[in-house]
Amino acid sequence: MPSASDTTTTTPGGAAPRAGRSTFDKALLGARVLVLAAVAVLVLAFPSMAADPFILSVGVVIASYAALAVSWNFVGGFTGYISLGHAAYSGLGGYATALFITKADLNPWLALVVGALVVGLLAVPIGIASLRVRGASFVIVSIALVLILLLVAQSWASLTGGAQGLRVPRPFGEDVLRPEQHERFFYIHVAFVVVALLLWWTIDRSRFGMGLKAIREDEDKAQALGVPTGAYKLTVFVISASMTAMAGGLYALWFGYLDPIFQFSILIGSYMVLMSLLGGIRSLFGPVLGAVIVGYSLEFFKVHYGDSQFHLVALGLLLALVVLFMPDGVLPAVGALVDRFRPDQRTSIREMTAEELLEHNQRLEQAQAAPADASHGRDLETVPSAEEKR
Amino acid sequence: MTETATTPAGAPGSFVPSLATRGLTKSFGGVRAVDGADVTFHRGKINALIGPNGSGKTTFFNCVTGMIKPDAGTVTLEGRDITAKPPHRIAAAGIGRSFQLCRIFPRLTVLENMLVGVRSPSVLHRLAGSRNDGDIAKARELLRRVGIDHLEQSEARDISYGQQKLLELAGVLMVDPDTIMLDEPAGGVNPALVGRIGTLVRELNAEGRTFVIVEHNMDMVMSLSDHVVVFDRGRPIAEGPPSVVQHDPRVLEAYLGV
Repeated sequence: MPSASDTTTTTPGGAAPRAGRSTFDKALLGARVLVLAAVAVLVLAFPSMAADPFILSVGVVIASYAALAVSWNFVGGFTGYISLGHAAYSGLGGYATALFITKADLNPWLALVVGALVVGLLAVPIGIASLRVRGASFVIVSIALVLILLLVAQSWASLTGGAQGLRVPRPFGEDVLRPEQHERFFYIHVAFVVVALLLWWTIDRSRFGMGLKAIREDEDKAQALGVPTGAYKLTVFVISASMTAMAGGLYALWFGYLDPIFQFSILIGSYMVLMSLLGGIRSLFGPVLGAVIVGYSLEFFKVHYGDSQFHLVALGLLLALVVLFMPDGVLPAVGALVDRFRPDQRTSIREMTAEELLEHNQRLEQAQAAPADASHGRDLETVPSAEEKR
Repeated sequence: MTETATTPAGAPGSFVPSLATRGLTKSFGGVRAVDGADVTFHRGKINALIGPNGSGKTTFFNCVTGMIKPDAGTVTLEGRDITAKPPHRIAAAGIGRSFQLCRIFPRLTVLENMLVGVRSPSVLHRLAGSRNDGDIAKARELLRRVGIDHLEQSEARDISYGQQKLLELAGVLMVDPDTIMLDEPAGGVNPALVGRIGTLVRELNAEGRTFVIVEHNMDMVMSLSDHVVVFDRGRPIAEGPPSVVQHDPRVLEAYLGV
């Protein structure tokens, strides 16, 4: 039934057959470009606008959250497999980067890349095993890995430093001061997010992406239509794990210290999920927006409520509100709101005017009323009619 | 469609086996849903599979299309063994199917629904390929054919149930299957649409596509099909042209218990 629903999905591969962009669409496109440009300028200018190093470091934390959330969204957004355990890959990425620097004497940036590749390889068997189960079972399995890795990292003290933690050498020399460090890492994180978004966008428009979204909607149906679902899921899972590992490695290089409790924590994995859901997992920029909202709120609540755990309660309330009023996330809700102001009937849903709809419904009613005799043959567990029975 | 030399092509009543099962068996717990079924469907014909509720039709369907792994028996398509292959392989082998309760991708647009099932040479090609204009043109043509091209930008969950049925059929056609298996194509749709689906099936059959249809709508089965297989308790109990099967005492017994 035609209804004014959300969706701002663009036409795949070109405009609709009855093309001709309306002025509203043009205005919308213009507005989008403007907003995007404004956000880009704000982001790039942020380090010079930040009042002090603390604000700057909050910016790095938020950028790091965005990097994690966008990486998570390769699996969550495309396939709908909700992994609560992606902290396993960010943690592994952090430790791998640190160990490749300290034990193998690799250049920090090379260590970052090698670490991500190694985690990607590890993700192959993990993905083969865990992607066999769907829904809630997958969520539980994904958590298990984090808990296992936490125990390993805490116990294997000779390699990971155990509960003492692990110091990560800074990639920039000691002479680069802290604010300068923050600024550089802010831009590096932003660059990572931009690359990740470009990759997500490319997949979104590809046949591969089409198959992944079909898996999200109905996996069996997708497979019946010839989509090799296992290979697709595994591929995107490995991409996501590697990206997450690289984001984790970046964080390790910036923060300079790894504590197993924080690296392999359910909380970090949950943040990735919550940020993405909050912003909207089906939208390109959803996880980034979610990361900004959650990251900012976390820091804000921490500053206001000090060392207590109240910042988690406050965050929970915020999420409850969003889930109640914008279940698809913030960005889809905004898209739906914009669609309401569309002057003509050419939304993505309404292809008919009210008069056309009325006429259409009348025709349907007539069709249903007329051949009442044809309906006797339905539901034929009982069929062969009376004479045949004789 | 090339007929084999041994069989006189096109002669009335001549059947060339296409999809066949031998001893196909599947149990759920103690229930033998499909019990050693030997069934042969004929190439280029409209085959119907009927039977009372719980006679194992849908389980049989799912075993053939790889959704369920059979406990025993074989499935062959044009002589090639496709037993227990994963569903995407079976789709690539040329079998397209619909589902009993129509299944579409609710949050994708109608056009996007169409673009999921594209028969491509290899996984690598699919992974790398972008949605090209050829696919989109083909999708639009098929949507026009089933009569829902005006809805291409709607989300599939927003269109009516009957339109979803048509979309599902069109989506299956994107894979260009030689054999199309429909699970209750007339279930839950109004009589006008039943007629339209019947016409579509006839047209597609005339183009050389083989059909296997599970259906309860006896009018549709009797008017549409060339060959009817009647299932009861997990195996075929009768088969033949509709006019013959209709009067078979075993069929009457299975349906009416007389």
